[in-house]
Amino acid sequence: MSDAIFMVLMAMLGGAIRVSTPFLLVALGETLTEKSGRINLGLEGNLVLGAMIAYATSYSTGSPWLGVLAAGLAGMVLSAGHGWICKLPKVNDIAVGIAFMNLGTGLAFFFGKPFIQPTAPRLDAIALGAWSSNPQVQQALKVNPLFFVGLGLAVLLWWMLKNTRWGLIIRMTGDSAASARAMGVSVDRVRLLATSAGGFFAGIGGAFLSLYYPGSWSESLSSGQGLMAVALVIFARWNPIRCVWAALLFGASGALGPALQSIGFSKGYYFFNAAPYILTLVIMVLSARSQKAAHEAPGELSIVK
Amino acid sequence: MIKANTKPRAPALEALHVSKSFGGNKALDDVTLKVDAGSFHALLGENGAGKSTLVKCIMGFYQADKGQLLFSGKEAQIQSPREAHALGIGMVYQHFTLVPCLTAAENLVISRPDTPMVIDWAAERAQLETFMETMPFRVRLDAQVATLSAGEKQKLEILKLLYLDQRFLILDEPTSVLTPAEADEVLGVLGEMARRGEVSVLMISHKFREVTAFCDSFTVLRRGKFAGSGDARNANVAELSAMMIGDAGVRPPAIREPTVPEGPELELRGISARDEEGRALVSDLSFNVRSGEILGIAGVSGNGQSALVELLSGQRPVARGELRVNGAVFEPTRRNFDRFKVFGLPEEPLRNAVVPRMSVAENIAFRSFDKPPVARRFGLISPAGIRRRGAELIRQFNVQTSSPDAPIETLSGGNVQRSVLARELSGDVDILIVSNPCFGLDFASVADIRSKIMDCRNRGAAVLLISEDLDEIFEMSDKIAVMSDGRLSDPVPVAQTDARRVGNLLAGQSGLSAPKPDRA
Amino acid sequence: MSLSSATSDLPARRKLRLDPRSAALIEASVIPLAALLASALIFSLFLTLLGKDPIRFFALVWTGGVASSFSFQNTLQRAAPLILTGLAFAVPARIGMTLLGAEGALVLGGLASALVAIPMVLAGWPVWLGLPIMALAAMAVGGVWMGIAGWLRHYRGVNETISSLLLTYIAVAIMNFLVEGVFRDPGSTNKASTMPLGPDWRIGDMPGTSVHWGLAAGVIIAVLLWVLMERTTFGFAARIAGGNLRAAQAQGLAVGKLAVASCAIAGACAGLAGFFEVTAVHGQANASLAAQYGFTGILVAFLARQNPLAVVPVALLFGALGASGGLIQRRMDMPDATMLVLQGIIFVTLLVSETLYGRLPFLSTEQAGDRT
Repeated sequence: MSDAIFMVLMAMLGGAIRVSTPFLLVALGETLTEKSGRINLGLEGNLVLGAMIAYATSYSTGSPWLGVLAAGLAGMVLSAGHGWICKLPKVNDIAVGIAFMNLGTGLAFFFGKPFIQPTAPRLDAIALGAWSSNPQVQQALKVNPLFFVGLGLAVLLWWMLKNTRWGLIIRMTGDSAASARAMGVSVDRVRLLATSAGGFFAGIGGAFLSLYYPGSWSESLSSGQGLMAVALVIFARWNPIRCVWAALLFGASGALGPALQSIGFSKGYYFFNAAPYILTLVIMVLSARSQKAAHEAPGELSIVK
Repeated sequence: MIKANTKPRAPALEALHVSKSFGGNKALDDVTLKVDAGSFHALLGENGAGKSTLVKCIMGFYQADKGQLLFSGKEAQIQSPREAHALGIGMVYQHFTLVPCLTAAENLVISRPDTPMVIDWAAERAQLETFMETMPFRVRLDAQVATLSAGEKQKLEILKLLYLDQRFLILDEPTSVLTPAEADEVLGVLGEMARRGEVSVLMISHKFREVTAFCDSFTVLRRGKFAGSGDARNANVAELSAMMIGDAGVRPPAIREPTVPEGPELELRGISARDEEGRALVSDLSFNVRSGEILGIAGVSGNGQSALVELLSGQRPVARGELRVNGAVFEPTRRNFDRFKVFGLPEEPLRNAVVPRMSVAENIAFRSFDKPPVARRFGLISPAGIRRRGAELIRQFNVQTSSPDAPIETLSGGNVQRSVLARELSGDVDILIVSNPCFGLDFASVADIRSKIMDCRNRGAAVLLISEDLDEIFEMSDKIAVMSDGRLSDPVPVAQTDARRVGNLLAGQSGLSAPKPDRA
Repeated sequence: MSLSSATSDLPARRKLRLDPRSAALIEASVIPLAALLASALIFSLFLTLLGKDPIRFFALVWTGGVASSFSFQNTLQRAAPLILTGLAFAVPARIGMTLLGAEGALVLGGLASALVAIPMVLAGWPVWLGLPIMALAAMAVGGVWMGIAGWLRHYRGVNETISSLLLTYIAVAIMNFLVEGVFRDPGSTNKASTMPLGPDWRIGDMPGTSVHWGLAAGVIIAVLLWVLMERTTFGFAARIAGGNLRAAQAQGLAVGKLAVASCAIAGACAGLAGFFEVTAVHGQANASLAAQYGFTGILVAFLARQNPLAVVPVALLFGALGASGGLIQRRMDMPDATMLVLQGIIFVTLLVSETLYGRLPFLSTEQAGDRT
């Protein structure tokens, strides 16, 4: 029995790290975007488009890392479109996000058709569990370098928002556009840049999906991670470090179904699939009226008003 | 670049013969303003007298059509606020420009034009601490601005200007958001700094008390023209108000008719309300408003008046206590508004009373759309009926609009307020709750709207008037009470009190009426 | 008198060129049409860059969607659920809510109607009694499902856009869970499904056509909802609440109930679409219910400017695009995602066009200088 529990826990740990990586990257991108006062619901589109571009690039060049870069750039271009449209008067950023989710997914499916069959070179994992003789531990501690990229990015973003001029300007723009304008800051430009950079991160998150886990390109690759990441940011209260913990939590809940299946407990597999969504909803209900969250929310954000 | 420099170096500023037109409108006509080095100068005038335009010309938001600007004796061409800042002219706006989510320290550092790319917080902190030591008032550097009180924010705004080494300070009605005690502290300190020659201050104000108590000199504008200037310490209030209003400015006061205090009555018993974080907004309010009477509630903004209006109109739950109308318990629901004929004129109508994108006629129908004749069987409504009724009331209440179908957001402020009056005052009114009804409106609309409210009282309504404008309170009210820090003084008849006593009460001192009030 | 002095200070009435109602109507038709045209041009450019012939593309859309009676009926068939899901977005939008949960309500509504049918089929109930019960069950489940999002918004302050999307994912998971588990028909081998309803329990086509009754239901409901939103006290109150929540509260309107009711109506529409998918198309509930109708409905509602009547023709347009998809795939050798790209381009262009409202130079009803 305890063996089974150990297996489940190990599978969940490994799963949490694996599943959390795209969550983390998208959430960091969304944090940066929202800190500047905009919401981008379209990052789901970045994720899917990034996955396709990464796979296609890796397939044609043989270099998965070039694929990661291409995915980021594709995400950046898509989000720059979002940022540019949102600065027009009377345009609603939430609706634009939905439209870009459609457009990104559509483009990915359109150009991705020829890449569903072939096998592209994948990203290698770092075997951190080599010290252990236990195969479960070894399996769980095979960690993709993109996870560490995400961790590094989280720390960097956290430091940048606190300790640099750009960081303060982004926070100022997100909290009070009027103050930023009074100080001569171009609010639209700051938001365009923040949204584009956020889109880059989300594109990389997509590369992880197609190049590592699950590790191939298909049209059902994403199950809404890009959208859940938006809720995750609210849960993490716009703090990049808390995004890491939140992403791991989401990852663990997403890994629950497969982990139970791995010990032969397959009843209710589909039900456990819903766990991350239910978790997100519960978290949103709990944190919606919390004063702490209200104080930390960027004041210009349409979604928290 | 920021040094703890306390050497006297206040600049002087002269704006000579400034004119500025917008379209055909002469906002400023040959206005001259002189602020001596190290003086505390008041700029007075009614709404629309040109004070803001003049200040914006100085700050470089506008370019004057004619005239000359001398800064410390030298001619200055200021093309943008940035250039004004570079000269050392800084301004505190009525709406704060601090960033709420940043800390005080972050706000100060980011306001500098030369903030380094990577901020060395240890060094910056040390520098800020030394800067604060030389300052007459302190603000906690680590506090998030959102958690500061209005007074602390105002101080931080002023500190920010001094931190940026701006020694000519322009303050736009700086005390409108402050309690009297906070106002006195801030103005007192600024006055001392000016006397020590560290700064020169130009303050836009319409509060005579502050001008005579704290300022050295003053300039009055009236309808875009220079109306007078002089020594503030020896000025008397009658003289100042004559300069401000001029000979043309005698507004016919609303006509008050004798009424009999019987009929509808609004009563509050021990009402308390809290904000989302559980802090008390109003505590233990008990008073009643009788038929044919206007109870005026005076107070500095932010002392619980908006909470009072919100709980009377059902926008905020009552934490404790009881509302009664005509002796019966009153729950603020739509059915009870109709049953007890309760009507309201909220402040800022575009924010609180109308739907900007809906048409004028539809906005006028908000009270009547769910009742006959507009509503018919099965809840069906007739748009033609709404339009017809709207057109009728638009005519009757003199609303200037291109069409009953025009979106109400295309109307001027006075006409939006008239549309709301048309909606709320067209039928029988028993209880009327009014909040700052004339804020920001032009001269003509003010007289019009006040007389409509007075008519309502004359016909026997019980009127609760909440206003930050003391003149309005004195012109309109039968009884006056003062709200301060969520509490209300006992209402007294207007004849038994005066502006000085109300002012004392606003300043937190007790005693609204003459020593021996004859109240039951 | 104070009143006459008041008028003399105000500027005289300014002349207009158009009355505001016609101007608004012209705006609301011209701008979306221009956006459609612009997206067609952008998409043509896209095709040209890929070496495909845009004229051939649009000709095939015409052939596959409109030209023959077969293709037009195919269009109508596909438009039916889009009308209902378009309404499911349009109604809450009038009260200021961006609700993306139609897909979930459709899936659960379809599932509910398939499940309540099982005992009735087994007990041999008459079809004329069973079908309305199934429809009501679908509408009730859909209504409750989207009502949750409205309730959470108003009473818990949870953003309805995200919560309704999460509810959609949860709905799909619930369906998979039940269809793969307890209610799986042992006979469904390659695609897990509920028990097939059998030919008697299928809702037929409208007489003389091969289009199922869902289209008629959609059109009737669109008209009813237009009346509800434009000509009843409910709709008027919803517009006040959607336009300015504080003003609605100050008028004593029950804004929470209005919000929940609007969402529930929306969910009922989507649930009904699920009912028709089950009884007219699939004959059982399975994963095919999640066919993106809910999401395309969002685009339909946007293009229709949230007007229930305009939803019908717009749904026909997207029905035609869907109907011609297969033909284009075969004749032009293009992937099925082509239509997704076109939809995405239309959606983005449409949102860009929102910025033109009130700024068309030839519709100057504005009084200059009156805006602050």
